[in-house]
Amino acid sequence: MPASTRRALGAVVAALGIILVVVWAWIVVKLGPSGEASFSATSKSPGAMVIPSDVLNAVDVPVHVTATRRDGGPVRLTVAQSTDARAILGTSAVSTVSAVRYPAGTMDLRVSGAGALADITRTDVWRVALKEPGSAVMVVDQVRAPETVVVTSGDATALTDVTLTLSWAERAWFFEALAIATLGAVLAAFAMNDLWQGRVTTAHGDVVGADTSEVTA
Amino acid sequence: MNRHELMAKGAAALRLRREDMRRRDLITKAASALGVRRDDLVRVVRVMIVTVVGVVGVAMIISVPGWGATHALLGIHKAPTAKASTVPLTVDQAKKILTRSLTAAYLGETKDGAASNTALRAAYTKQGLRGAGGRVKLASVQPAVATSPLEASQPKLLAVSRGFGYPRFIVAQTVAPDGGVPTLHLLTTPNAETPYRISMSVEMVPPATVEPFDRLSQGSSLVTNSAALAVAPAKLLSLYAAQMAFPAKAISQPPFAADSFSVQMREGAAGVAKAVASQATFTQVHKVVPDSLYAVRQASGDALVFGVIERTDLFTVKKDQNVNTAANKAFVLLTGKKVVARKASITTLEFVVFADPRSSGKATLVAAREQIVAGSGS
Repeated sequence: MPASTRRALGAVVAALGIILVVVWAWIVVKLGPSGEASFSATSKSPGAMVIPSDVLNAVDVPVHVTATRRDGGPVRLTVAQSTDARAILGTSAVSTVSAVRYPAGTMDLRVSGAGALADITRTDVWRVALKEPGSAVMVVDQVRAPETVVVTSGDATALTDVTLTLSWAERAWFFEALAIATLGAVLAAFAMNDLWQGRVTTAHGDVVGADTSEVTA
Repeated sequence: MNRHELMAKGAAALRLRREDMRRRDLITKAASALGVRRDDLVRVVRVMIVTVVGVVGVAMIISVPGWGATHALLGIHKAPTAKASTVPLTVDQAKKILTRSLTAAYLGETKDGAASNTALRAAYTKQGLRGAGGRVKLASVQPAVATSPLEASQPKLLAVSRGFGYPRFIVAQTVAPDGGVPTLHLLTTPNAETPYRISMSVEMVPPATVEPFDRLSQGSSLVTNSAALAVAPAKLLSLYAAQMAFPAKAISQPPFAADSFSVQMREGAAGVAKAVASQATFTQVHKVVPDSLYAVRQASGDALVFGVIERTDLFTVKKDQNVNTAANKAFVLLTGKKVVARKASITTLEFVVFADPRSSGKATLVAAREQIVAGSGS
């Protein structure tokens, strides 16, 4: 392999290694030893907040859902089969979590519908329903997916200014990220060492070449 | 414009000689200006370009939801789709609904006035509510049971719906604390917004038993294709209603076995007709209540068929006769009339449950109950 090609390849590998180290070290720090990924969004629009199965059941581990009202009022968290939840929500005003962004830790909200939600406390579709003042936490496992979480005030008033947080954890993710960062560090170290060795060899060659030319002269 | 002309114009614009625009010269000059060797500068620039391109690429990858390597790391994938065989209720949910409904039913039958009405409406629906309302209204004139099967502390959950369609159902069985015949309960909901309520509670007819349903975790389905059964549930009920008419109508090759309930009904009708014969003519009509039919598939392939038949007892008083109805306390309580000169009618609901075999044989009555719900007279 020509020396210039080898050097270029070394530079590319070194750069990739550095990128892997920087990005995945950041993710390692974000995940922490527990391997927890967390996402938050605040809805200012009046109406229920909805976490559809596209988000709730997009992982294989239990999802922790936390809803917190800024005004400290009651929060009702419910979970039901998605088809039933959609039937209950109808065309009422809701803010739906449409995507999660990592490692930014944010969620996209899509506002849709109009009008107040009917009384949803009478129906039997909710597999779990809990109501707490100010903030409520629910853990949704994946056994009965697809399911949808609906956050309401638990009374006739519409929710506003609610912060919703989703988190899920898997320790393996931390170690996977750590492994990738380590791999990047190893790649970068080898590539930079190769580049350094190439530089020394070239410099040595320059010196040898100079001596030779002097002798020749 | 060719490459040479382009370089000449570029050099003029930058006020450089054309030779200065040659890449090699530029790199050499830049290297000497920075005090490094040319090769080192080339290497550093390459690394910087690769780094920038890499960072931009990685940033793009990790910033696009659902597309990134981080999403793969976090195990984010496409959510599973709903299966038609999923059971919408957990066993715990079904038990809570059952307990709630039976508690409300018990309160409805033991409280008075508005409290009773509220509880009954929370517990029962449709014909179940009509029957319970009639039972409460006539409680003072009907034979009282020692202990209600609604008091059962451990209702036995027999079946829950399979799939996301409506209506959905729960089948349960209770036994009164002091024993006695078991009672079958059918709870139904027509849509997602409406809670489960009792459609009927029917005492079993000894020595009938209920064959097992599929496991609660699998759920049971409503029979939609009655071709696999010995007799279509709708036909079964309509023939059963027809054979109880008075004056009696013969049903050739009935698809159901003889049972004590229908015998009792027919004998009762004949007795009433004989008792009022001098003053009135008596007829009895039985009609299946529309939408009251539920056929739940059992593990063996048989079906348990629930239905309600509305019976109308019609008295046509003969000319110049006044019938004293005081002895019929239920009629007096429902109509407020102690004397009838022209006509009188009593409406009774007959709740019946049949075991319908899967291929051949006759359906057998498993549970039955009658309840007077209305009356009128003139």
